Amino acid sequence: MANIAGDAAKNRTYDAIVIGSGISGGWAAKELTGHGLKTLVLERGKDVKHIKDYPTTSKNPWEFEHRGQLPVEVKKQNPIVSKCYAFYEGTEHFFVKDAEHPYVQEKPFDWIRGYQVGGKSLLWARQTQRWSDFDFEGPARDGFAVDWPIRYADIAPWYSYVEKFAGISGNRDGVPQLPDGEFLPPHEMNCVESFFQKQVASKYKDRQVIMGRAAHITAPQPIHLEQGRAKCQHRTICERGCPFGGYFSSNASTIPWAARTGLMTLRPDSVVHSIIYDEQKGKATGVRVIDANTKEEMEFYANIIFVNAAALNTNLILLNSTSSRFPNGFGNDNGLMGKYVAFHNYKARISAEYDGHLDSTTDGRRPNSPYIPRFRNVYKQETDFLRGYAAGFSANRRSVTNQDGLGADLKQSLLNPSLGGWSVGSHMMGETIPKETNYVALDKSLKDPYGMPQLKISVVYDENDEKMTKDYLEQMTEMFTHAGFTNIQATNTDRAPGLDIHEMGGVRMGKDPKTSLLNKWNQLHACSNVFVTDGASMTSTSTQNPSLTYMALTARAADHAVQELKKRNI
Amino acid sequence: MNRRVVIKHMALAVTGLVLLPGCDLGSKKAAAQEMQPFLSPDQEGLLAQVVDTIIPATDTPGAKELNVHLFVQKMVTDCYEKEAQENLVNGLDALEAKAKKAHDKAFDACSAEERIALLRAMEQSGDTGEQEFYKLVKGLTVRGYMNSEYVMMNLTHYEAVPGHYYGCVPVDSKTLS
Repeated sequence: MANIAGDAAKNRTYDAIVIGSGISGGWAAKELTGHGLKTLVLERGKDVKHIKDYPTTSKNPWEFEHRGQLPVEVKKQNPIVSKCYAFYEGTEHFFVKDAEHPYVQEKPFDWIRGYQVGGKSLLWARQTQRWSDFDFEGPARDGFAVDWPIRYADIAPWYSYVEKFAGISGNRDGVPQLPDGEFLPPHEMNCVESFFQKQVASKYKDRQVIMGRAAHITAPQPIHLEQGRAKCQHRTICERGCPFGGYFSSNASTIPWAARTGLMTLRPDSVVHSIIYDEQKGKATGVRVIDANTKEEMEFYANIIFVNAAALNTNLILLNSTSSRFPNGFGNDNGLMGKYVAFHNYKARISAEYDGHLDSTTDGRRPNSPYIPRFRNVYKQETDFLRGYAAGFSANRRSVTNQDGLGADLKQSLLNPSLGGWSVGSHMMGETIPKETNYVALDKSLKDPYGMPQLKISVVYDENDEKMTKDYLEQMTEMFTHAGFTNIQATNTDRAPGLDIHEMGGVRMGKDPKTSLLNKWNQLHACSNVFVTDGASMTSTSTQNPSLTYMALTARAADHAVQELKKRNI
Repeated sequence: MNRRVVIKHMALAVTGLVLLPGCDLGSKKAAAQEMQPFLSPDQEGLLAQVVDTIIPATDTPGAKELNVHLFVQKMVTDCYEKEAQENLVNGLDALEAKAKKAHDKAFDACSAEERIALLRAMEQSGDTGEQEFYKLVKGLTVRGYMNSEYVMMNLTHYEAVPGHYYGCVPVDSKTLS
C-alpha cells in the first residue's frame, strides 16, 4: 500500500463516497451533493456522458453493418450476455463481456452487467411500480425471510419525491396492491389491450389489466426541462441511450444534476476493492480502489460511504472488506451476508392470436406495454405456493407479406404488406422466496483481472417457483380463453436465474442485527456510516420491478445520513 | 426527387455503409480483414445477379443496385457459421452449372424468366445444400433490401422522430409498411 502523506491524503478526502453510478448510485450522488456534501462517485467502468457517448443512438437501421445482428464470433465469446434480449449490435458496448469479468456459476446463473457511468440505468426496461404493504408486510405475514423494518408509509413520500424528478408515466388505477404515484400522462392502450382489460374485469373482480407505469417523460414538467430532458419521442431504441433524455437514466438525470452543484467528483475506471475500517474510530474511513487502467491501488476517504455497486457486486465488495473487527466481511457479524439472495421468476410466457377488432390497428411505436398487477395470495393465502406474480401483457397487429414469389412479384408483395390478425402475449414476473441456500460468496482461489476474488453464485429456482409458474400458465390460459384468444401457446422456458436482471438481497434490511445486516435507514447495523441502498438491501423481492424502490430508498437514506451527520451521530 | 439523383445519393450512402467503421480502430481493422471476400470476383458478380433476380429493378432500383449482394456476403462472413460460407460458394457454383446445363449459357446471360426458373430449381432441389442456399440467399436479400436506406426512406417511409403511438386507428386510414 502506498504511503499517502499529508496533502495527498487531504486531496483524496471527501464528505461522502458513492460506490457505483447506476440507478441508485446516481440518486445517492444527486441527494448528497444536493445537501452540500463534497462527494466522490466511483464507477468501475468507463465514463459515459449523456448524448456524447451514445455512439449508436442516432444510427438508422441501415447504418448497422449487420442490421443489428451480432457476429457469430461475438455470440460464441459471450454465451451468457448473448441471452439478454437487449444485447445487440446497437448496444453491445454497454454490456459486460463474459470473458472480461469472470465469475463462478456454482449453479447456472446468467449474470447480466453494465459497467459504465450510468450502469444498467441505460439499459433497463423502465417499468416503475411502487411496492405496497402487501410486499413490505409479506415476510411477517407469510413467515419467510425476516420482517421488513419499514412499511409503505415510510417510503411513500420518497416515492413521490423521486417520481416527480425522474418522470413516471401512468394512470391512477386505484389498485390496492399497486399504489398510485405522481404520474405524467400514461401511454395509450390499444384496442385489443383495452378489450382484454374489459374481458378480465368482467370475469374477475380482483384482477386488473392496466397501462404499464414507466420512466418516460410523456409531458415534460419544469423540473425535467431544467434537467435538459425532453419529451419521449417513441423511438423505442432506449437501450442505446436517449439523446432527448426521454427516459430516466443516471446519465441523463441524476449524475449531471449532481455535477451541476460543483460538489461531485466522478471517477470512472475505479474498481472498488474494499471499504476501510478504522478500529480506533469504530467506523469506516474510506474506500480502497484499483485503477482499472494502471492497476494502481489507492485510497479515498470520507465520513459516509454509500455502497451502490448493484446487488451482487455490493455483496462482493462488502465480503471482500475484511479487518480484524470484520473478518468475514464488512458488517457481517451474523454471517448472513451474501445469503438470502432472491430474484424474479420470469420463466413462463404465453402467446396467442385474436381475430376480432380486424377493422382497427395501431400506428407508431410505444416504449411500454400493459401490466397485470399481482392477484394471487394478495389478501389471503389461497394457493399451494407462497406469494404471487405480476405479468406483462401486450397486443399488436402483424403486418404480413407473401414472400413465396421471386422477381417483380416478390418486390411488389414486399412493398405492399397486408394486415394480419392480432398477436397477444404475456410474460410472468414472480416473487421468489429469499433462502439461505441461495447465496453468493467469494471464491477462495480464483481472481478477476483486478486481483479481486471472483464471485461465486449459487442461486436456483425452487418448488415454490415451479408451482407459481404452473399457476401463471393456467390462469393466463383461462384469461386468454375467456377473452376469445386462439392458438394459445403456454411455455415454461426453464431458463436459469439471472436473466431477469432483478437480483436482490444478501445485505438485507431488518429490525434485528442477529438476522439482518441493515437497519431501517439502510445503515449497516455494525457500522452506521456505511449505507447500502441498492438491490442488495432488499429483504424480499415483491412482484413489482425494483428500480423505483431503489431510488426512493436511496433518497430517503441520503436524507437520513445528512441529518445524522449534522447531529454528529455518524 | 429525380430518380437518377436518388440513385446516386443512394449509391454513395450504400458505399459509405459498407466502409462504415466500427466503434474503434481495432474493430475497423478487424472488419477490413473480415471483408477479405471469400467469394471470387466471378462468384461475387454471380451473387449480384442472383439478388437482382430475386428483387429486380423495376421503376425503382433492384437489389444489385442497392448493393444487397455485398450485404449478403458480409452477413454470411460475420454472422453465420463457416458452413454457410461454403454453402454459398457451392450454391453459386451449382447454379452456374445448372444454367450451363439447361441453357448452355452463363446465369448472367439468361433471361429473367430463365433465371427465376433456375432459382426455383434450387428451392425445389432434392439436395439439402441447394435448398439451404436458396433459403439463405433469399432471406438475406429480402432483409438487406427492406432495410436499405433507399427502401426505408423512399418506399416504406421510415421515420425515427417525432414518434407517436395511436392504439386504435381504422384500418382504412393506415398506410401500411
